[in-house]
Amino acid sequence: MKAVKYFSYEVKRLMRERPALLVIILSVLSPLAGLTLYRPASAGTMMSVYLANPALAGGAVSGILFGALTLYELDRTKRKRMEALTDAACPPTDTALIRTAALLPIAAAALMLTMLVWLPVSFFKIGSVMDLTNYCLAYLLFMGLALPSAILAASAAYQFTRRADLSFVLFAAFAGSSLTVWADDWQLCWLNPCVWALSDDFSNFRIFRSVAYMRLTWLTGLAGIWTLSWICVRRRGKGIIGSALYSCRRLYRPAAALLLLVCYGIGYAAQPIVDHSDPDPEVMTFAELPYLDGIVCSGRTAQVCPDTSDGTVDGKAVYMFSNSSGREQTAAFGINPGYTVYSAKANGEDAAFSVGGHQEFNEAMLEVAVPAEGDVELVVEYGGFPQESSGFSTHQGYTEISEKYICLQNAALAPRLLNVLPDEGGYPAEIEITLPEHMTVIPFCASEAERISANDGMAVWRYEDSGTGGILYAGDYICQNIEAGGIDIQFYYGRKHREVMETAGASEAVKTVVDYCTEHYGPLSFGSGGSLKLIQSRVYGGGYAGGGASLLDEEDFTSDNLNGSGKGAAPGEVMIHELVHQWWGLANMFDPSDSTDPWSAEGLTVYTAYRIVKELYGADYAEKYYTEQWRKETDDYYLNFYVREPEYLDRLPEDKRAEITGALSHVRQYCEMPLKILKAEKLVGGEEAMDGILSELFSREPDPAYPYLTYQNFLDACGLKEEDLELG
Amino acid sequence: MGKIFIYECKRLLCNKFFFGILLILLFYGRQVLNDITIMGVSHTAPFSAWSFGDYLSRMIPVLWIATLLFLTFFTSPAARRVSVLTDAAPMPPRRYEAVRCCAALAASVLTALVCIAEAAVFYGVYFGRCDIGSLTAPALVTALPAIMFALGSGRFLGQINERLVYIWMAAPLAAAALPLPGAMGIWNGSFFTEYPLLTGSTEPAFAVPAEIAAVQCAFLVCGAVMSVCRFGKK
Repeated sequence: MKAVKYFSYEVKRLMRERPALLVIILSVLSPLAGLTLYRPASAGTMMSVYLANPALAGGAVSGILFGALTLYELDRTKRKRMEALTDAACPPTDTALIRTAALLPIAAAALMLTMLVWLPVSFFKIGSVMDLTNYCLAYLLFMGLALPSAILAASAAYQFTRRADLSFVLFAAFAGSSLTVWADDWQLCWLNPCVWALSDDFSNFRIFRSVAYMRLTWLTGLAGIWTLSWICVRRRGKGIIGSALYSCRRLYRPAAALLLLVCYGIGYAAQPIVDHSDPDPEVMTFAELPYLDGIVCSGRTAQVCPDTSDGTVDGKAVYMFSNSSGREQTAAFGINPGYTVYSAKANGEDAAFSVGGHQEFNEAMLEVAVPAEGDVELVVEYGGFPQESSGFSTHQGYTEISEKYICLQNAALAPRLLNVLPDEGGYPAEIEITLPEHMTVIPFCASEAERISANDGMAVWRYEDSGTGGILYAGDYICQNIEAGGIDIQFYYGRKHREVMETAGASEAVKTVVDYCTEHYGPLSFGSGGSLKLIQSRVYGGGYAGGGASLLDEEDFTSDNLNGSGKGAAPGEVMIHELVHQWWGLANMFDPSDSTDPWSAEGLTVYTAYRIVKELYGADYAEKYYTEQWRKETDDYYLNFYVREPEYLDRLPEDKRAEITGALSHVRQYCEMPLKILKAEKLVGGEEAMDGILSELFSREPDPAYPYLTYQNFLDACGLKEEDLELG
Repeated sequence: MGKIFIYECKRLLCNKFFFGILLILLFYGRQVLNDITIMGVSHTAPFSAWSFGDYLSRMIPVLWIATLLFLTFFTSPAARRVSVLTDAAPMPPRRYEAVRCCAALAASVLTALVCIAEAAVFYGVYFGRCDIGSLTAPALVTALPAIMFALGSGRFLGQINERLVYIWMAAPLAAAALPLPGAMGIWNGSFFTEYPLLTGSTEPAFAVPAEIAAVQCAFLVCGAVMSVCRFGKK
């Protein structure tokens, strides 16, 4: 009871202290930094700019302020030389506990005030896509939990060292590490979580879960360190060791510290959010598996049931095999590393299976024994919380599973067959998915999903696909039908965005691009069946195109972006770029084996986007935002030290080499190659001649043995040699 | 005098505080070298004088804070209370102050040398190159004025109020964030990233324009003057 009384005295005292009031006021103002100085969320969505950044900045700034306040308050009695008196009135350990705990309500008050003050500002700036759930979660997780973490860290530093200056340096180093060297490690950045984007139109539960996990593990760890430091609180005139030994007479104290630290260690090591994929993008052992001899796959089905409340997936996948080898063999599947395989049955009998420890490209390898029987029906039951790739740990959020949005890609949808060839029919697949009734299912392929039943607020959808993988989107979508270039386009966008889309005339822009490409290069001919799906995805950082479908990032459709004039080539024209990929970039157009090859889908796509922009906005605009940028980037590339002196690149550690090579190949694909195509355009006689050449290349009859469009094909069509296109 | 100098050096260097600072310095330096310097600055080699200068300019905030922390040994309330005794000792207070400043300078220079040695080891391991001669000029032009000015200005502020020394630690961080005039480009690193591009050469020889040299000299002289002058009440 005494402790409660002292705690209430301490809180009241703090509320009257000028430094504490100053820290509360500065904390309320701290989100301002997120609008000006500190903007870690790089995406352009309204929620990222006007909610994530202010909340993150608020967390970082007020965390540091509360850390400093903690040191100031804990050092007070020592500074005023009142320790002897306070120690006589109350045991030092109790005093330390009360003083640290009393700072927590002050931090809570600062958070509440900040949220109240910034709520109308956020509503005003974000507009129609503002959402109260996102607002509360963002401030509580990004800002709120930074404050107790900072208080615990600063308090622990002081209790260990008993020196305010040294504690301040330690705390500054700890906070500074989070803001700099740990900023790209989602588990270590305790002060400033790795949040690169918040979605406007869809939900953000995945990234909130990730941040909450990081915050809770750190809070556990810091609570453990704080308890350890609490044990070391000096008492009876003893030093750190003597005090610790004295405190340890009550065994629950070291036991609590140990328990908390062990929990932190386990929480850190066994995190369920991100996988442990091989960081080297060159390692593709799954893709290099030899195909099984005498076994073919004649089809597969999958029944997938995402749980939108806890973000998990349960599924049953069935594979039909013909085994003519006469012996048992092992089929390999890529499966999301977060999933557990519950069972595998071959023709109704339990089959031996194992999931390997090695992971690459967000897949673990599931191996299942296929018995020596002619026709085998293999049933795999799986489920769990899908993990995201460690390579994108700073860009988390794409595997969102909620009532507003679902994205399941390849091995996250169903185990992906790795080492069994298809029979003559390819890999026909039938996918069934059970979702809340209000959600629309959009398979990322040419086929349409059909709602086959609805019951108790849930609906079952079915669609057909082919191949070993597959991508599925679902959400609260509106579909707008557009006729352009002789094809039917289904333009799917989030319901929350309807007003913005209609005001901006986005569908007219889509029509312009499709009409342009059809007129200049010809109609879409492969796998689209006279239709094309344009799907607005949750913020993704780009987009991709597949047979009959193209993904458009919601970032391209923010009201700021769509209404902005003079923003130049990026990011608004990404929409054009991704649409153009329907002409240049589907699977059978470019050889995907070497991702660093300068000749890729990007060269022709960037060039075509430039031509469209030139037609739409004029030559000056295109020159300023396209060709000038290409030249600058290409010049920089040629001057790069590692390009000039490649022998030094070979000396570097593997990860650094991969990072630099990747960055350089990006310039070659997106800037150098378009410049070469532009040079070719001049050499062949101008835009019209180049359009004719590209039209011929687009509609060429591919060689089935090697169907890809090569650089040599392009040079031959232009009547040029490689050296003709060298950039001087 | 020599004895006092050695005693003050021991006070500064032989304690856990100094080793803590060194650890932080080495850790931060490794991150800068591994993440930024390895890419090379303005098309130059990572081991060029320009890239090395950029590395040092990024290390200035840490060196600055370390220097000011050394000064807090002399400006703390405890040190002020002891000054009643030291001022009564048969030695001119000005000379005693100068010796203490020299000790703080020695400790700061030592931390800067650790920084430089870390870069040299990094160059040797990753690139098999370590031309100490080419690193001397950027080290002198970048680190020395910063350390000297931190020492002088810190001592000046410490005589007014010891808390000002802690506030002053944020100065290089502010300088790194602000758009400073070109002549102060070393303080936010813009000199090392922009000047080589103006030369039109891929590996330009290290050179410092007159205005930059003048500003750095001014910081050096100001720092030296403030280090030896005694301000406020005696």
